Amino acid sequence: MLVMGEVHTGLLQSSGEIPESACRDVLHLMSGETVRLSRRPMIYAVSPDLLTGVDCRLPSASRSRIRGVGTVVSHSSITGGRVVQGSSYARVERAETDRRLAWSHYLARPGVIEVLGKAKSSDLGDGFIGDPQPNGLDLGSISARFMDVVQSSPLLDRRAPFKVARTKVRWVAQPGDPAIRFTLNADQTRTIRIAHSGDFTPAVVDLCEDLALHDWLLTTLLLIVERARIGGRAGPEVVAKLAPAVDHLLHLWMPAARVDEALVPYWHGLEDRMRFTAQWERLVRRIRDQLTLNDAAMLRSARHP
Amino acid sequence: MLIFAISGKGGTGRSVTSTNIVYRHALQGNDVCYLDFDFGSPTAGAIFSVGAVARGTRRHGLHEYLRGDCAEPHQVDVWSESDREGLRTRPPEAGRLVLLPGSEGGGELSGGNEDMVRRCVQLFSRLNEEFDLCMVDVSAGRSYTAELVLNATARLPSIPFRWLVFHRWTRQHIIAADGLVRGDDGLLDAGARLGHDPEALRDRIRFVRTAVLEPDAAELVGLRDEQRAWLFACDQELRELAGRHKVGRTAMLGKIPLDPILQWREQIISDEDVLASKIANAETASAFDELAKKIVDDTAWEGL
Repeated sequence: MLVMGEVHTGLLQSSGEIPESACRDVLHLMSGETVRLSRRPMIYAVSPDLLTGVDCRLPSASRSRIRGVGTVVSHSSITGGRVVQGSSYARVERAETDRRLAWSHYLARPGVIEVLGKAKSSDLGDGFIGDPQPNGLDLGSISARFMDVVQSSPLLDRRAPFKVARTKVRWVAQPGDPAIRFTLNADQTRTIRIAHSGDFTPAVVDLCEDLALHDWLLTTLLLIVERARIGGRAGPEVVAKLAPAVDHLLHLWMPAARVDEALVPYWHGLEDRMRFTAQWERLVRRIRDQLTLNDAAMLRSARHP
Repeated sequence: MLIFAISGKGGTGRSVTSTNIVYRHALQGNDVCYLDFDFGSPTAGAIFSVGAVARGTRRHGLHEYLRGDCAEPHQVDVWSESDREGLRTRPPEAGRLVLLPGSEGGGELSGGNEDMVRRCVQLFSRLNEEFDLCMVDVSAGRSYTAELVLNATARLPSIPFRWLVFHRWTRQHIIAADGLVRGDDGLLDAGARLGHDPEALRDRIRFVRTAVLEPDAAELVGLRDEQRAWLFACDQELRELAGRHKVGRTAMLGKIPLDPILQWREQIISDEDVLASKIANAETASAFDELAKKIVDDTAWEGL
């Protein structure tokens, strides 16, 4: 029917970026399971997938009472030793019978939530993307917990270089003519709707996580530039406020680096409309210009004290 | 950084002082939030003039969050949701100012459980990611709430925290403030039981005097000589008492002068109240401003 997911993204609570080995230790949530790690084009480490069993009301735009039983797949990841994500998703499918079966049935189909009774895919999708409903499936709190596990690791010093809120991306994928829509809400939540041709693959999850990562980078860089109050205070103070961006963020922008080739056109489609990279590059130039100006001013004052 | 605001007795002006400190800290360019853990009377919304949550929120207040009835507590952006025009304009240099209200009609927390402590740890830990400073109003006296936050901070060794104990400049308040910290089952006692190092904990506690009337204050010019002499004598006695109870100058972080505006209405004192309408005293605003700096100034918190 459809797939729904939620990705939370935030700054790793450590003073500097952490090395590969530490990523591995921090993400080692379950003994016996290994942490997957890739080094190119950037260090990316992801915990094993864990399942959360659910038997609850599913979101519905028409506020119908729809019951779903099954499991949600979640994992935590660290990109560049610096950015944490907690990500959960579930495929929603029609159950073959209207009654709940033994857990062994659901465990045999990891990441699938079966709908008991009638439900329309569009109603579920609209309900999930809209306002979260109380006492229903809450992928957000599962993803938040998967972030918490990383953030509260005793291996981290918790002295992050700046404070920043987590962002939340809720996404829905349904079969259809390929299309993607990304919406920014007033608070820290964003929504993505994807229509994909053919069967759903976890590559769609990777795409959403990559979009969430870059949206967080852009949101955070905008915040740092805003906090710096360029023009509103002395040059060296502005530069001090901008420094964390240079130290911790600028090198992390690499859109679609981890996205399956078949799905890269979705990124391009969004770029054409939302101009993420153009905005990022403009901000980076602005930061570098400030650094250059400040250097020049320091040189001048050194020559003519 | 987590700051816990507590007082030995009620009626010290703890809430109004701690909200004003948080407001000044935001004006100084920091992202701050205020957690209304005064569960018996969650009225921080009224002080920030957010009418919709004046007596707590109806949806996802801190009570509900701690009891596990909601996944995330309600956050109110004071700069956009306050009914006071003077608070609704966020100055360009100011940071975020967010209120987490209690639940309307929520009542005191009574004997929680392990789940509640876990949720409290999770809350502090998440907010610490997002805010430079979280001020937690823990209400007056020994309470389960105070124990809850002591328990939570013992499990968050790498998140810095400090305690402010508010008291008025009277005999009873000085004795109560000392009792709250050093008495049986006081903060140090309970803290040690929950895994804090008592000495380290003691270094993280400072006193704040509220509604202080200095004997040489301008307001007292009209007093008769006999009255003034009596006040001086009283003040001297209180100083000695405070010294004996270790609530004296060295353990004091700051004092807030008596200001009629705070006696009549618990509210945020903005610069406009001082400069334009002149209903508040400049000394009060600057005392808040100074405290807002001192709470994060390590030199003011060096070991006693």
